[in-house]
Amino acid sequence: MYTMFLLSVGERIAPGLHDLDAAGRRRVAAIVERAVAARPPRVRRQLSAFLHLLRWLPAARYGRPFDRLRGAQQDAVLRWFHDSPLAPFRHGFWGVKTLIFMGYYGRPEAAAEIGYRPARAGAPPFHAR
Amino acid sequence: MRDKQVDIAIIGSGAGGGTVAKALSPLCRDGVSVAVLESGPRLKEEEYTGRELEMAERLYFDGGGVLTRDRSVTLAFGHAYGGSTVVYTGTSLPLRESTLRKWNVRGLDFDDLQRRSRKYFAENHVHLLPDECINDNNRLFAGACRTLGYRVEQFPVNVDGCRGSGLCNLGCPNGAKMGTHRVQLPQAERNGVTVVTNCAVDRIDPAARTVRATVRREAIGHPPAWEPGEYRVRARAVIVAAGAVNSPAILLRSGLAGDLKALGRYFTCHPALILVGQHDHPITNFSGHPKSYYSDHFAESEGFLLETCMYFPFVTAKSLAGFGDEPRALMSAMDRLQMILVLALDAALPGNRVTVNGRGEPVVDYRLSEPVRASLVKAMRASARIFFASGARRVHAPAGRTFFVEAGDSDRLDDLIPLEGFKAGKVSVSSAHLMGGCRMGDGPAASVTDAWGGVHGVPWLFVADASLFPGSAEINPYITIMALADRVAERVRGRLPELPQ
Ligand SMILES: Cc1cc2nc3c(=O)[nH]c(=O)nc-3n(C[C@H](O)[C@H](O)[C@H](O)COP(=O)(O)OP(=O)(O)OC[C@H]3O[C@@H](n4cnc5c(N)ncnc54)[C@H](O)[C@@H]3O)c2cc1C
Repeated sequence: MYTMFLLSVGERIAPGLHDLDAAGRRRVAAIVERAVAARPPRVRRQLSAFLHLLRWLPAARYGRPFDRLRGAQQDAVLRWFHDSPLAPFRHGFWGVKTLIFMGYYGRPEAAAEIGYRPARAGAPPFHAR
Repeated sequence: MRDKQVDIAIIGSGAGGGTVAKALSPLCRDGVSVAVLESGPRLKEEEYTGRELEMAERLYFDGGGVLTRDRSVTLAFGHAYGGSTVVYTGTSLPLRESTLRKWNVRGLDFDDLQRRSRKYFAENHVHLLPDECINDNNRLFAGACRTLGYRVEQFPVNVDGCRGSGLCNLGCPNGAKMGTHRVQLPQAERNGVTVVTNCAVDRIDPAARTVRATVRREAIGHPPAWEPGEYRVRARAVIVAAGAVNSPAILLRSGLAGDLKALGRYFTCHPALILVGQHDHPITNFSGHPKSYYSDHFAESEGFLLETCMYFPFVTAKSLAGFGDEPRALMSAMDRLQMILVLALDAALPGNRVTVNGRGEPVVDYRLSEPVRASLVKAMRASARIFFASGARRVHAPAGRTFFVEAGDSDRLDDLIPLEGFKAGKVSVSSAHLMGGCRMGDGPAASVTDAWGGVHGVPWLFVADASLFPGSAEINPYITIMALADRVAERVRGRLPELPQ
């Protein structure tokens, strides 16, 4: 239900998300949705409450919800949550960040993009090369 | 509900359960029936794909993302035929005598543990990898430690035919890692033990001496040995080896907490950080065995170990404190990253414990104590020194004032990586060494089992896994778990004739 909002937050967390085509974004969304669906109902409720907070808390300072802020303002909000004096806010942000990283770096094609190319069949001894 | 009857039921097939199954399997020749009830799947060879998320989902509880109640620590533990040994890295070290002295368990002596550890070193083909198999990530660590005067040792590892695909923690796709799924369980099965996979044990009914379990059909893996459905398994002896989270949970669900005040308590987990340094040029890191060296230089003085490691993209990204362009820049250089795993040697405290919630699911309460946080920050500084001495251009320290610490600032590490920079949630802490919860000791007031894994006051019930540890192992634990499980098997063998049908 919150996937669209989560992905818009995700563009600030993993900026590479912004450059993905529609199919790439769908793959990220599918990974995130699958991971959320596998969590117990209690955790899903916590995530949805945190996303609600993340969307609306900025209105108190900026007069607008998160998704209508400029990029730099969004970053300031996220930085505040990331380093918040309140542990539940830090943990909430960590959860969101983890989901985004899972969606973005968990795509099998991401590996090659970032120079990670392990060979299932293995590697020859290093000094024999 | 179907009924089954066996002589010995073993719950879990990991380092503990697999060992005890093999050690007891010669009894099958004399007509003793042994069943291992394992909740995880038994994968087919082609199902080891090496793909990060797919394998995490197949082989770990909750895909490797079990969180402690306060969400400060992610606990990774295996869920498969072979348990966590399917995903472990295979580094093999015996318990130190000094640790055993701290454990202070009457009846558990060092020579006995050493002898049994040596047996499993041989059985699991533990050896040092030859120099030509050591990649740059490991070589740089060892060289830098020597330059800095830090004690450094090569890890003995238990591989046979390792091809250096570097995917140990996703299950070796080449079958080279000598976990219980490769060595002990197949041997046990050859001797007549039945291993029932996809079989989750809910509880033990102490009055009836039965185990309640459910066998599921799964889309992956070999079909289980028993038909899907609910089972009541009657046994003469029951051995719980479901790991440090699930063994206490099973005993708690079985209503054993009343007499055993320590049940679930004194959980330790070697809280860990994955740290990265970035080089200017590619290094060999993701190919080759990931973990060839460790340093215990700071173990006594500062309470942490340093080990080489190399993780996969998502796990690496998750361990970075920050978001946006800086993590992106670091992550886009995976072939230039050097990695160190830091393990804090945490004290066993009664408040760190496993309980079960209203639905019977395990919940782990674990507080990152002040000494552990201090150790982890000091370990970040020591690791940064190692990265810089290896030639890294910049380093990410999760408690750092800035995302990157540049090589030019390497003389200001104490200032740039302050103690107060460590905030739970901001710094990603994980654990793969789960210990305690059914600790050995003298009596039911302060422990759950005796020095041979026998549950106090219940002569037919035993524990044989990492939950036996009275305190942290202070070193990678699997060999010690096997050595302890070997003792439990010996005790069960001796007591079985006295136990009624
Ligand atoms: C990624 C990773 C890397 C590691 N690397 C190393 C290393 O290099 N060296 C080292 O010494 N140690 C390492 N370890 C730790 C080591 O693997 C564990 O300490 C050890 O395997 C624990 O043994 P155990 O028998 O207690 O539990 P496990 O091996 O986890 O086995 C428990 C088994 O019980 C099953 N189970 C749980 N609940 C139930 C239930 N209700 N019913 C039926 N079955 C159940 C589980 O599915 C599992 O198969 C690593 C661990 C991980 C996760």
